[in-house]
Amino acid sequence: MDQFVQAVINGIMLGGFYAVMVLGFSIIWGVMGVINLAHGEFIMAGAYTTWFLSKQYGWEPLVSLLVVMIIFFVIGYILQRILINRIIDRPPLISLLITFGLAIIMSNSFKLVFTATPRSVDTLLSGFWRTGNVTVPVTKTTILIVAVLMMAALHLFLQRTRLGKSIRAAAQNREAARIVGIVIAAVYALTFAISISMTGAAGTLISPIQPIYPFMGAVLTLKAFAITAMSGLGSIPGALFGGIVLGLIETFVATYVPGIGTNLGIISSYVILVVVLVVRPQGLFGGLKPVEVR
Amino acid sequence: MVRLVSFWQQYHLGRWALIIVALALFALPLAQIIVPERKLVTNSLLFSFTQMFMLVTMASNWNLTGGYTGYIDFGHAVFFGLGAYGTGVLMAKAGWIFFPSLIVGAIVALIFALLIGSATLRLKGPYFSIAMLGTFVAMREIVRVIKPLTGGGTGLTLPPYLNRPLFYYVTLIQAVIVVVFVWWLIKHTEFGQSLIAIREDEVGAEMRGINATLHKITIFTIAAFSTGLVGGLWAYQNTFIDPDIVFIESRTLDLVMIVMLGGLGTIAGPVLGAVLLYWMRDIIWANFLQFHLIIQGLVLILIVLFLPEGIVGSISDRSGGTTIGRLWGRYFTAEEDTAPEKAEVGP
Repeated sequence: MDQFVQAVINGIMLGGFYAVMVLGFSIIWGVMGVINLAHGEFIMAGAYTTWFLSKQYGWEPLVSLLVVMIIFFVIGYILQRILINRIIDRPPLISLLITFGLAIIMSNSFKLVFTATPRSVDTLLSGFWRTGNVTVPVTKTTILIVAVLMMAALHLFLQRTRLGKSIRAAAQNREAARIVGIVIAAVYALTFAISISMTGAAGTLISPIQPIYPFMGAVLTLKAFAITAMSGLGSIPGALFGGIVLGLIETFVATYVPGIGTNLGIISSYVILVVVLVVRPQGLFGGLKPVEVR
Repeated sequence: MVRLVSFWQQYHLGRWALIIVALALFALPLAQIIVPERKLVTNSLLFSFTQMFMLVTMASNWNLTGGYTGYIDFGHAVFFGLGAYGTGVLMAKAGWIFFPSLIVGAIVALIFALLIGSATLRLKGPYFSIAMLGTFVAMREIVRVIKPLTGGGTGLTLPPYLNRPLFYYVTLIQAVIVVVFVWWLIKHTEFGQSLIAIREDEVGAEMRGINATLHKITIFTIAAFSTGLVGGLWAYQNTFIDPDIVFIESRTLDLVMIVMLGGLGTIAGPVLGAVLLYWMRDIIWANFLQFHLIIQGLVLILIVLFLPEGIVGSISDRSGGTTIGRLWGRYFTAEEDTAPEKAEVGP
């Protein structure tokens, strides 16, 4: 029983991280129709930035979060302007190939600069809370709280502000949005910048709990896709649901299938992905097509 | 330039160039027999050619799904890995000799392609691409997990081979057979004609009674079998396999780059692309080893941005638009020849 409760707690905490990690991916896809295969690499870059700030200046990951978000906002904006904007009107396969190239460039550049040695970030928020035989790690709880706060903030931004509404309008119907005076190029640049900023922040969140290495990205991209397949594009509640489902499945597999460890995490998300795609190609919530950002 | 291109097209110079190059390559080892005292054919030269032919073969296979059905496969190297591991496990664990293991290894790849293809080839392009990327990443972990069979992360050592030129020959012959087979298939069988019909207009082909999904799965499976053979050969030549060198992501990058560079959906494209990539990589490896994947990624982006037809695609004439335009247009956005989809505007 304790083992079960422990697995549920761990799964939900992992799921909170997955939910915040997937948002950038599903919003870029939902709003712009660009499938960002370099998504995991941006998470990796965010984690490395946090590691660098922590090692060089001794910053807490939670403090770096804001800095990382600003840095990645700027990077995302520039990248959208010089690269993604060129291919936005071309078939999505072009964007697949471009971001695939980008992913390779990023992971290998980071390997060149930081070597392939796995790194880890220390945080003051370590330790455990203990109730009976169930332990609740403080770091992961903090991550879950921050993740939920970030999602709530993004939700409010998309629902309540003019800019957020224009992003949703552009996702729903680009031509109509243009007609009512929304500058599509600006909205896309903003969308990309916000998404990349969220993605970099996800890297900061993951940095205290997982080893950081240059090739961690591909697995995360795949998980992002599996969650998006479950949750639909751009849906924040859906992302939370999909993230927690994946987190629970991964933890339960790791807990109850002996002798296999965490490698099965990627396999289980892959199985979910293929099963969802084959059984319900439109996604569990009917969202695997560009629809409104909720 | 235009006159040169039309001259090239009029006399099918590309085809003749291919045939001449193939004959010259067949004749290359004979030079060693005719003039044994001049060390014309060194082992390292043969090795280079072997590697190049493997690239040609795999890229042609990739081009079967990529070019003839329009599905961009980011996980084709999974069949290479299955072939390599099928062969490796049978030789190292079961003590089989090479050729039966090679065939069984390729059959493993074929069966897997049949299963995964019948699931994923019904999906739309981007979903297929990422599902296959997932197959690739997941297969690496699966191979790592089933330790008793595959040796896990420590890998497998195959019994060493004896005769390097034999390998060169086998690979060469296979590569040539595949290229010729594709050519022959597309030109002279009902199956190939149906594939072309599907490529040109999938809905129209289905209206005329062609089972498009079945054709796509068949060509996918053939490609997987052939790539599985290359994988088995590679494993035997390398004598050591582990998950990280067999399922290395740059192998997929190589295939995508070769076909994009040469020209998606063309026969000569993968050949030309593989030769160019091999030379390019040789130069990069010799001068900036550290940067080679970064440079390759940059080149891929530049090709996609500025030469999306590839080299062969840019010089060959096709009435009614280019292959790539039709494929991508049909699958994804509203372009001229996909009028019914025009209703859906926007992302």
